[in-house]
Amino acid sequence: MKKQCISCGMPLEKLEDYPLSDTTKDYCVHCARSDGSMKSYEEALEGMTGFMVKTQGIDKNVARGMAATMMAKMPAWRDRQ
Amino acid sequence: MTQRDVQKQETRRHIIRTALLLFGENGILGTRTIDIARAAGISHGSIFAHFPTRDDLVASVIGTFGEQAIRRIHDHVGRNAPLHEVLETHLDSIKEYEALYTKLVVEGPLLSPLTRSTLVGIQSAISLHLARAARREMHEGTIKHIEIPLLFNTWIGLIHHYLINSDLFAPGESVLEKHGRILVEHYMELLAP
Repeated sequence: MKKQCISCGMPLEKLEDYPLSDTTKDYCVHCARSDGSMKSYEEALEGMTGFMVKTQGIDKNVARGMAATMMAKMPAWRDRQ
Repeated sequence: MTQRDVQKQETRRHIIRTALLLFGENGILGTRTIDIARAAGISHGSIFAHFPTRDDLVASVIGTFGEQAIRRIHDHVGRNAPLHEVLETHLDSIKEYEALYTKLVVEGPLLSPLTRSTLVGIQSAISLHLARAARREMHEGTIKHIEIPLLFNTWIGLIHHYLINSDLFAPGESVLEKHGRILVEHYMELLAP
């Protein structure tokens, strides 16, 4: 079974995809803080929103809504109330 | 993994492959889950044993396209391939799913928030990879300095125009097969300093 980040869905394939190259983690380097711990929902949401804005120039509020829609399906956040 | 798990995964893949073909033929909006079940030779209920909602199925189909596209581009960028090769790889990844992708572009604004967000997420990952190749060449001075969103949107706007109007540019055949090479050449000329 292919491993995917539980927070954003990014495929975890290479060592560089993991936080601090730790392959026991089930989240990606982008969803981790600098100490290797997983970002909070708000931090991850902010990160994904910024990613869409920087790569496609999408309006920030629209990007935030899209990021929230995607994250609602992710194992780390789908049971979040 | 038990035999049952293997069977379950195989059925899930079969549903995705069938949906992918039907979405390409009839559009995402024009394909009902009952049509997918019939074409896949399974009961309508089986679809929902694998996907909680139709929306989840559509997102998984788009995810299948996105995963292969991102992987292919990622491999090229990782090998420090020049931007024009990365663009060709991007077109190759779309060509493999051209009918589906065209329907996604045409129907995009009408699709559900989840479907739309999934596609936007894929496009951001592709933009990130194109940007990695482009930044190297900007640094070397072989292409102009252009902000990443515009660099990506200019490229995607060009290819989407040809895909949406493929009946004008390449009736009955792949528009990317017919015009892809010239589009890459033209785009690279636009970027020349």
